[in-house]
Amino acid sequence: MTGAAADYGALVRSLLRRAAAVRQPAHGTFELTSRCDLACRMCYIRRGAGEGTADAGELAASDWLELARRAAESGMVFLLLTGGEIFLRRDFFDIYEPLTRMGLVLALYTNGTLITPEVADRLARAPASRTEITLYGATAATADAVTATPGSFAAATAGIEALVSRGVPLALKTTLTRRNAHELEAMRRMAGEWGVPFSASWLLARRPDGGPSSAEECRLSAAEGLALESEDRASADDGTERALREAGAAAGENFYCRAGRAAFVVNPAGEMNVCSLLAEPAARPLQTGFAEAWARVTGYVEAAPPASAECRACDARADCGRCPAWSMLETGTLTEPAPYLCEIARGRRDRRRRG
Amino acid sequence: MRRSQDFRLQRVGGQDLLVPLGPRVKDANALIVLNAAGRQVWELLAEDRTAEELAAALARRFEADPARVLADVRSFLDDLGRKGLLEP
Repeated sequence: MTGAAADYGALVRSLLRRAAAVRQPAHGTFELTSRCDLACRMCYIRRGAGEGTADAGELAASDWLELARRAAESGMVFLLLTGGEIFLRRDFFDIYEPLTRMGLVLALYTNGTLITPEVADRLARAPASRTEITLYGATAATADAVTATPGSFAAATAGIEALVSRGVPLALKTTLTRRNAHELEAMRRMAGEWGVPFSASWLLARRPDGGPSSAEECRLSAAEGLALESEDRASADDGTERALREAGAAAGENFYCRAGRAAFVVNPAGEMNVCSLLAEPAARPLQTGFAEAWARVTGYVEAAPPASAECRACDARADCGRCPAWSMLETGTLTEPAPYLCEIARGRRDRRRRG
Repeated sequence: MRRSQDFRLQRVGGQDLLVPLGPRVKDANALIVLNAAGRQVWELLAEDRTAEELAAALARRFEADPARVLADVRSFLDDLGRKGLLEP
């Protein structure tokens, strides 16, 4: 009559597949802020930490809660709170604590630098199912250089230790760049010493708003990334790669992940979009009602043009993580090949052919 | 016995599951999937019930042998109890 899945991640993916089949908006992402206390050059979302909530055009706490209630009534069960840096919002717990009583499966993404003992105490009283903290290096010299923020490494490790010591479910991850890739194994050891899961990814996207993020200068070359991948030390992007594998025979579809079928994102201004990297169709759930906004998101995905003829004919297609969001970031279209991803896909194809 | 108030019944793509609330996430950090019989038992446990009462209700609904259902219900209740989903 019951079962708790041995593999939690596999269960969630299976549930979202089922939700996608019936267009249930089961997974929401609320980007509570685009402000961040770090200044990573490669980041795709970043505003200064000094701007206040209203000045930064962010929804008020009461709006986020209203949105969550409406989304839950329409079928949202999983909710990720992310930013920017979520703990920059002074009213974070005014949003978070009521959410923990709504029967949602919550996840938090943070850089950990603002997790004081007091914040950790409050999280421990009603933890999210998973809190994920991004490491930017295994040493202060490297991490602080990546974040361009002196003291960020010490603050993040103190935050991690505060959560670990209180038993808050935690996972660590890293985004590899040219500046920190040499510390990958040291970061993995750190996570092991804390007894928490660790993952690494190396695919860096440009900013959706077209702003300067220097992702291209920071990211690994295709060959460097593929070398890590072939040794099973890091994946390009966990979510994309998994979606690609799961799509299998349906990989011909332009949108092949759960975005716009079972998942949506709401940006700090309250616009509902397909995903964090694709700021379309900018539906307004608080103004039009959730159901109408979700219908616009699903309609956007269903009406999307197919991938370009070049992509569809490509013999590296099965190895390619291109999606409409990446095409938009790299080419300004939903359909055209993204050259960086082409290089990665061809490298995988060649490796596979060599056996 | 009755069900704990610390879990919420949710449905994703037609699949029923129990989600822990508030502080229970820390010690029950897993989603508990229910089949149709499990869902019915969970709903009946909104009120105080014995294993025999639950088995009788299930046997009626699924037209099954009450003795066999009772064994399944006891096993299910043991599982729920171990996971802290029941109140005495």
